Amino acid sequence: MIVAQQKPLEEIRRLIAPYEKILILGCGTCVTVCGAGGEREVSFLHGALRVAQVKGGDGVHAFLEYTVKRQCDREFLDPLGDRVSEVDAILSLGCGVGVQVVAERFPDVPALPGVNTSFMGATEQGGVWDERCAACGDCRLAETAGICPITRCTKGILNGPCAGTKNGKCEANKDIDCAWVLIYKRLESLGQLDKIRRYYPPRNFRTIPRPRRLAGITSIDLGGSNG
Amino acid sequence: MYSVSMYETKDYPTDRGEKISFDRSLIPPCQAACPLHMEIREYVDLIAQGKVMEALRVIRNDNPFPSICAHVCTHPCENACRRSQVDKPIAIRALKRFAVEFGGDRMVQGEAETMRSERVAIVGSGPAGLACAYYLRKLGYPVTIFEAHSELGGMLRVGIPQYRLPREVLDTEVQRLIQMGVEIRRNTRVVSLDLLFGMGYKVIFLTLGAHQGLRMGVEGEESPGVVDGATFLREVNLGLKPSLGEKAAVVGGGNVAIDAARTALRLGTKRVVILYRRSRAEMPADPTEVEQALEEGVEVQFLVTPTKIKRANGHLSVTCMRMELGDPDAGGRRRPVPIKDSEFDEEFDTLVTAIGQAPQIPEDFHLRMGRGSTVQVDPATLTTNRAGVFAGGDAVTGPATVVEALAAGRQAALRIDDYLQHRYPLANKEVREGLAGDLLPKTLDMVKKTSRLEPQVLPPEARGKNFEPVELVYNWEAAINEARRCLRCGMGAEILFQDKCATCLTCLRVCPYNVPYLDEGGVIQIPADQCQACGICVTQCPAGAIVLRKPYDRRHVASELDHALRSAAESKFKPFIIGFCCQYGLFGTGALASLWRRAKAGIWIVPVLCVAKVEAEHILRAFEMGAEGVFIAGCGEQCAREKTAFWVSQQVEKVRKVLVQLGLASERVQMFNLYAGDEDPAHALDEFTEKIGGLYLASVIKQEVKS
Amino acid sequence: MANSLFEEKLYSDKFLVTSEVGPPKGMDVADMVHHIDLLKDKVDAINITDHQSSVMRFPSLGGCLLVKERGGEPIFQVTCRDRNRLAIQADLLLACSRGIQNVLCLTGDSIDVGDHKEAKPVFDLDSVQLLRTIKTMESGKDLGGSDFKGSPKFCVGASVHPEADFIEPQLIKFEKKVAAGAQFFQTQGIFGLESLRRFMQYASQFEVKILAGIIVLSSARMAQYMNDNVPGIIVPQPIIDELSSAGKGKGLQKGMEIAARLVRTIKEENLCHGVHIMAVGNEGIVPDILEMAQIVGAAP
Ligand SMILES: Cc1cc2nc3c(=O)[nH]c(=O)nc-3n(C[C@H](O)[C@H](O)[C@H](O)COP(=O)(O)OP(=O)(O)OC[C@H]3O[C@@H](n4cnc5c(N)ncnc54)[C@H](O)[C@@H]3O)c2cc1C
Ligand code: SF4
Ligand code: SF4
Ligand code: SF4
Repeated sequence: MIVAQQKPLEEIRRLIAPYEKILILGCGTCVTVCGAGGEREVSFLHGALRVAQVKGGDGVHAFLEYTVKRQCDREFLDPLGDRVSEVDAILSLGCGVGVQVVAERFPDVPALPGVNTSFMGATEQGGVWDERCAACGDCRLAETAGICPITRCTKGILNGPCAGTKNGKCEANKDIDCAWVLIYKRLESLGQLDKIRRYYPPRNFRTIPRPRRLAGITSIDLGGSNG
Repeated sequence: MYSVSMYETKDYPTDRGEKISFDRSLIPPCQAACPLHMEIREYVDLIAQGKVMEALRVIRNDNPFPSICAHVCTHPCENACRRSQVDKPIAIRALKRFAVEFGGDRMVQGEAETMRSERVAIVGSGPAGLACAYYLRKLGYPVTIFEAHSELGGMLRVGIPQYRLPREVLDTEVQRLIQMGVEIRRNTRVVSLDLLFGMGYKVIFLTLGAHQGLRMGVEGEESPGVVDGATFLREVNLGLKPSLGEKAAVVGGGNVAIDAARTALRLGTKRVVILYRRSRAEMPADPTEVEQALEEGVEVQFLVTPTKIKRANGHLSVTCMRMELGDPDAGGRRRPVPIKDSEFDEEFDTLVTAIGQAPQIPEDFHLRMGRGSTVQVDPATLTTNRAGVFAGGDAVTGPATVVEALAAGRQAALRIDDYLQHRYPLANKEVREGLAGDLLPKTLDMVKKTSRLEPQVLPPEARGKNFEPVELVYNWEAAINEARRCLRCGMGAEILFQDKCATCLTCLRVCPYNVPYLDEGGVIQIPADQCQACGICVTQCPAGAIVLRKPYDRRHVASELDHALRSAAESKFKPFIIGFCCQYGLFGTGALASLWRRAKAGIWIVPVLCVAKVEAEHILRAFEMGAEGVFIAGCGEQCAREKTAFWVSQQVEKVRKVLVQLGLASERVQMFNLYAGDEDPAHALDEFTEKIGGLYLASVIKQEVKS
Repeated sequence: MANSLFEEKLYSDKFLVTSEVGPPKGMDVADMVHHIDLLKDKVDAINITDHQSSVMRFPSLGGCLLVKERGGEPIFQVTCRDRNRLAIQADLLLACSRGIQNVLCLTGDSIDVGDHKEAKPVFDLDSVQLLRTIKTMESGKDLGGSDFKGSPKFCVGASVHPEADFIEPQLIKFEKKVAAGAQFFQTQGIFGLESLRRFMQYASQFEVKILAGIIVLSSARMAQYMNDNVPGIIVPQPIIDELSSAGKGKGLQKGMEIAARLVRTIKEENLCHGVHIMAVGNEGIVPDILEMAQIVGAAP
């Protein structure tokens, strides 16, 4: 799941300052789950911005709220047409992908990001998410006992731990497990230590031409980028 | 259903434009078990808020004579109450008594208008007859009650002793019926139905009761000095003072036996011995009353039955046999089996038989009869084999209970109305689903245990010799605390908008009671029979997918908040403060009002049904509308639910973060515990208002300096 | 023929002594030059650190050039943190062209421990890959597979951590470094001889030279600080106690004694092939320690 965090109120106030009517647009998928941009956060942010208006002397904005199921598919945005024509800007609480799809779908209205898209992660405990995948495009989890060294080792190195690991923790942050210690232990219990003994050559960053595109076996023409 | 809920049954639009029904709750087991289907959960909840008049209104929606039930109801609701899975059931009857006494039931006027011409005759003035008369009058029919006795009430008058049902209570109800225009013929025994039809009545409702004492079938039962319980109690209740001599025996183990024994004591009998053929566990009488009888000095001999009675020199010599318990009978109680050669004799002055009664239906009525001399009816319509003749109460069921008789009376009135208006009789269909199922251990373990508060009773020394009411009414505090124990079964959370649910599992993680779960299909479920209606998941769901089945949640808070904000806007008090205050408990009742009246600033209270339902958005809204400070006053440890304070503090923190980013002091939002013990909540509140006043003044000065 | 003076000594039976000099922050290299001068004739080679602890400084390669200028023997420390494979290869070519041929291949400390926390961590290569890169370059090709016009030659080393609290994966990595062509190892700072003995028992099976890393502590506080903040370092409690027993202002003296004791024992017992003395910020005292350890000048 994509994990994001709402931007500080101050930054959001700066972003919306030039506009009068603003649609706060939530997304009902990943950012709902991580509590950054679902229906509740939309209405909470709405409330906070209105308090800011009263107490902080911000220009007088008018807000609309709406939450779609997913911002990263244009079809979900279609029903927004009328609302969008009423506003001067869209403050999207979707991830970076959502903001861009919104911008493409409504080219005449500025789309502003309301969250910082942080990473792809898993729920560690209620309200806490940990990064797990870097979308490197060349998954090597089979060699590393299902633990990603590219994401979870701060240096992303491939041939074993650096000498900085102490108490099983990373040299960069004592609260974070050293990925290579985890990998070693899991490989050991799987009886696959030969995998860590092997030499891994430098990564092929070329698997990542940016921006990446992935075409499935069937690709269906959506009729232009503006839907 | 007949009753109309006190909550407006209106639909409300959602933010997506669809309309959903306001009340989506399931019928709780207490209500399902009540023959009158009273909205127990609702009135108990109102009592927990100290809203006793509203509670009485809800009660009166379903019960024509709540004051009677409040004294003598056998409370099948309590036997069904799910709280007994946790500890002990809610003391529902005692709470009703509280509502009746404190809610001003005495003041209620009997009102009815005659809107129909078809006259209805009711034979018998027991609870079934009285209830039917009440509802027929409400429906506008002219009604006449025919009663063989000189006084109205049936067994309420001639059976139940006064120390359990004070006669003023009954008289008040009868008086109200007269006020409502019910015509009454006392001392009139009906012997022929044709005669009644001949008098112009279009419909007859028979509620003759079951007054004929059953015979034991032992030798010597006809002897003088042997009397049946119903007759004995009738004589006492009609003002005769039958003498039972020095030592009396009462045979039986039901409520009539207990009533007879305790009445005998009150008449001055020195020794009263109950002879019961099984053991205490099998006694059908209400355990509380058995307890009270023992306290008063009634003796009980268990596993004993009389086999022969001989009258000699003014005394009765009763031969008894000892019994032992054998296999369970059809009803599940163990059958008494005589022990060979265990006979013994005992001397008594009198012997009262109380082993049951049967109806006595005049043959001239030409009715089809069922088992035990009862009248046979169609249970859905209460019609007999004769056109226009309906029957109900003990006459149909055999000896039963007041509440069943009342239900029969109400049912009869509705079916008689159908009959007279030529409507197809409505089957008694429930609109809403009932709640079934036990609490699972993972949930049960999390529910706070609280002890049941029994109403006080007169000390045994004070009752023995008179007919004063034994049970006292709750005081305010006891009633509220008892009512707070209710689990609010069936009105918990529901994922109303499944399409919004992101299956984020937040509800599953925040629920203090382990209620939500992920089903095999990966769909999150909140089983209604487990939910404790705390509302925490409702306030935490990031998708806004959950509501409470009764709108005790954000919708309620939002509308109360709007109301407070409107009043605040019109007031001259500046600065104004919004306080979200729990309505449950003593503070909902006005104690809080006196707190804030003392405060210097304008404090506006938003009453909420548990502060767990307050959301950060509500607090922000208060600030947006000009509040300078917001406080949330909850019950701390006294809260009937789990984790409330924790989740409220989360909401407070969320708002504080916004305030700080806007350069406002985070102390502008504060949480108070109304029961903080040593700390007077008024004191904390004073401090808070002072601080907010100071902040306000500072900001005003700053503004003036600027301009 | 040896590629460098140091390589020649590496394969003699001499007990080797190396030390390190950290470049300054800024342009003033006077201190560094002073330290180089102090050390150049007393040790067999001088390591120049590469933005040690991820703190930005005068470059390692620049420091090596200075060592060369002053007539010393430099070891070029190369980390993978700040340069991608192109930049690293280029720097290595420059180094070799100026006679800087001893290279210590390191992964590099994490960006987060340094003073440019918002910088992009590169780590295009790791230490093992870097070692192999050098082998590739020596064979006359770059990592892209193109032929060099003139190929470099190096004497390559790497680091190992005998006192790591979880040693097994470190040993695997050590073996990978050996297989990748490492000729010598300078260990992370060690404090206990037991761990060194154990490590040497294991390491002696490989054809590589091991120089035990000796850190000169200047106070108990510094020891504690290193335990808490410096990646991988674990100063044992008895040593901290010994330092704190020294009394005010005598910490450094005590630290030197401890270091000298270690060096002398290692040499006397012939525990490994040499020592690498790290006097973090106190480079000037290294000759004294050598004297205290009764090590005669390194002079060729
Ligand atoms: C001692 C005792 C204690 C009880 N305690 C409780 C209790 O605590 N709680 C509880 O729920 N239930 C109790 N019950 C049972 C309860 O009282 C009855 O179930 C209930 O009263 C039945 O109501 P009914 O209207 O069917 O008949 P009844 O109350 O029996 O009324 C029938 C009426 O019909 C009249 N009648 C009969 N024949 C004729 C005729 N031909 N013409 C005119 N009038 C006629 C009778 O005089 C009587 O007034 C008790 C019963 C007894 C006997
Ligand atoms: S706990 Fe309350 S709602 Fe549930 S059965 Fe008992 S009285 Fe009824
Ligand atoms: S908290 Fe809301 S969105 Fe999350 S699983 Fe529960 S109902 Fe669905
Ligand atoms: S309302 Fe309370 S008890 Fe019910 S599911 Fe939600 S959190 Fe659990």
